[in-house]
Amino acid sequence: MFRNRIAIAALAALALAASACASDKATGGAAPATATGGDGVKTGPGVTADTITLSLLTDLTGPYASLGKSLTQAQQLYFEQVNAAGGVCGRKIELVVRDHGYDAQKAMAAYTEVAPRSAAIPQFIGSPMVIALKDKITTDKLLTIPMAWATGLLGSEAIQVTGTTYDVDMINGVDFLMKEKGIKAGDKIGHLYFEGDYGESSLDGSQYATGKLGLTLVEQKIKATDQDMTAQATAFKKAGVKAILVSVGPRQAASLVGVSLASGLDVPFVGSNSAYSPLLLATPAAPALLKDYYYVTAGAPISAPLPVYQKLIKDYEARFAGQPLDSGVSTGWTAAMIIGDALTQACAAKDLSREGIIKAHRSQHAWEGGLGGTPMDFSVYDQPASRASYVVKPDKAAVGGAVIFKEAAVSDLAKDYQVPPAS
Amino acid sequence: MSRILFWAAVAATVAAVVAVPFYLDGFWLQTGLFAMSAAIGAIGLNLLTGATGQLSMGHAFFLAVGAYAYVFLAAEPTGTLGGLGLPTPLAAVLAVLAAGVAGGLFSPIASRLKGAYLGIATLALIFGGQHVLFNAGPVTGGFNGRAVPPMELFGFVFADSPEVVLLAVPFGSLERLWLLGAVLLAGAAFFARGVLRGRPGRAMNTIRDHEIAAGVIGVPVTRYRAGVFVLSSMYGGLAGVLLALVFQRTVPEYFGVLLSLDYLAMIVIGGLGSVTGAVIGAVFVSMLPQLLTRYSDAIPLIAAPGSGGVSPAEAARILYGAAVVSVVLFLPGGLYGLLRKIRPSLPSIRLRLARSPETRSSHVP
Repeated sequence: MFRNRIAIAALAALALAASACASDKATGGAAPATATGGDGVKTGPGVTADTITLSLLTDLTGPYASLGKSLTQAQQLYFEQVNAAGGVCGRKIELVVRDHGYDAQKAMAAYTEVAPRSAAIPQFIGSPMVIALKDKITTDKLLTIPMAWATGLLGSEAIQVTGTTYDVDMINGVDFLMKEKGIKAGDKIGHLYFEGDYGESSLDGSQYATGKLGLTLVEQKIKATDQDMTAQATAFKKAGVKAILVSVGPRQAASLVGVSLASGLDVPFVGSNSAYSPLLLATPAAPALLKDYYYVTAGAPISAPLPVYQKLIKDYEARFAGQPLDSGVSTGWTAAMIIGDALTQACAAKDLSREGIIKAHRSQHAWEGGLGGTPMDFSVYDQPASRASYVVKPDKAAVGGAVIFKEAAVSDLAKDYQVPPAS
Repeated sequence: MSRILFWAAVAATVAAVVAVPFYLDGFWLQTGLFAMSAAIGAIGLNLLTGATGQLSMGHAFFLAVGAYAYVFLAAEPTGTLGGLGLPTPLAAVLAVLAAGVAGGLFSPIASRLKGAYLGIATLALIFGGQHVLFNAGPVTGGFNGRAVPPMELFGFVFADSPEVVLLAVPFGSLERLWLLGAVLLAGAAFFARGVLRGRPGRAMNTIRDHEIAAGVIGVPVTRYRAGVFVLSSMYGGLAGVLLALVFQRTVPEYFGVLLSLDYLAMIVIGGLGSVTGAVIGAVFVSMLPQLLTRYSDAIPLIAAPGSGGVSPAEAARILYGAAVVSVVLFLPGGLYGLLRKIRPSLPSIRLRLARSPETRSSHVP
């Protein structure tokens, strides 16, 4: 027995020694290699002499599959065009797409797989997934654009939430109801929201705004899996609400608006940016949505008269014929532009290391990119990059099924609003 | 002679396991760790379902209890979140016990119901449990979950910092956890093998195959059913603790009914009633989707994500369903049974393993 144990120990030690000799991982533990290439540009992980690798962590099989497809295709189109124009810093952009199906474990595995060879992440769907990886992303210094707008995502130098957060949108939405929809102090307004940080972040905003303006808020919380909003519509009617805020998915929004109108609750509805999809206009809920439904968003709808969007519509339709031009197309394009601009700036500073990319990105105080609206301030990361929201209305005739109803503006309430600190 | 061969085989295995973190990158280590955690949970479920014939749909609940109990016990309390700040090894042990207690509380039901009826009753655990996880904010962190404090064993922290370099290889949290996971899995497998080979294992198999006969020969059937349920919950709890350590964050969404179904698929595919079967099944089910995703560009018929066509996630689901169907139809002993069938042609390995317990189930519950 004893002799055998010695043999085991010897074998194990031998294997250990042998393994260490030939391992690729034997780097001596230095920080991720940054090197300086022949062109004098400092490079980091994901950047070689002729390519820059970017990763898209998206959802193509889960609940946000249609959004994920639009986002991914728009970003593929953007970087194809960048490559056709010669790339960035003389390097071609390579995209790695990973589908996590809105599953936290798969997202985590996908991140671990792609992060060591990526220079940035222009798309990461799902706030639960990004929040789960927030600390890792921060230590990896990997510039990431989450496709979610909860306040819990703020506070990391490496994570850039585009535009407004959900709470700011809801404050601007309540302000819009007061100014243009005849809601007065003392009125009741309803808020239908998802359990989870999308809904709860929105609720922070509506609670703040109704508290300041002397309104009473009637809350109804639902799960993402709930589909029929009859009970919620009845509750709102019973409470006598004069308007309803909607922070749920498009299907639930359509159900709520349809059921409310049918039961005689004819009030204005204001949704968060994720509470509408042009696909709803092909459903029986369309007449109800076209009547008095609005949604609040930091990004202009794709029908906005901007040369960038007009070119995008033309190119997207040529490349992906027959695919819907929903808000994912413009959002994905915007995020790709932000990353593209950060890379270009980093190249100008001759530093394509991860630190260099973040530094270049954070040096932009007023990024606008020809997309209209108020410019975004990327230099602070514990505050939303912008506080101005568009009010957008569904429209059957428009490209993307929505038109601007009211230009982007910051309400006085939103200006003074203190974002709750990230936990 | 056979003894020397056996210890040589053990030594080679240990050496191989120790060598892995020196070679493979983070993706492989993480995938392996998920498989290890799944293997521990699957061994527990196999004791209950494979060896005793009791169907449980609530395994994910016990994983959740283990994971959340560890986080709550080990975490320092913050402004909004409670915690006890216990030493982490103690918290881990208590978390496993907590899962056992949760199983014990359910055992009055678990000891009286059998087979599919228990499956339906345990389904309630999942839904009730997830409701609590989502809403007991101060303990669970609600929808966003909470961060998991890293394990600290005799002053050695299983995290990325402080930096440790071993033989010129940087040892981050995954490399360190790999060794911990291997030790836990070996311990869990060894214990379960002991249970299955001994008197309790024979009693459990008799309960599965013929309950009345078991009662007649003096096996306390209800007590055994309750006991196995508690033991299986504790395995679930240990799997949950390891999973939480790998994830570094617990999110309630993950511990749903799909996870329970995954575990059932693991033991059916691997082979009902044996430890090796559970491990093989766990590795198969947890690694398949990851491998397909990683090598999607190299495998024919599978399209890269985002380009249309069958995506890796869909392909994994199809393959996985096909595996369950073909195992049920053609391989009643699972992948492990298949290994045993082809083993006679490999005489050298036969020596030791031929002695493994004959606990294959003749029927799928």
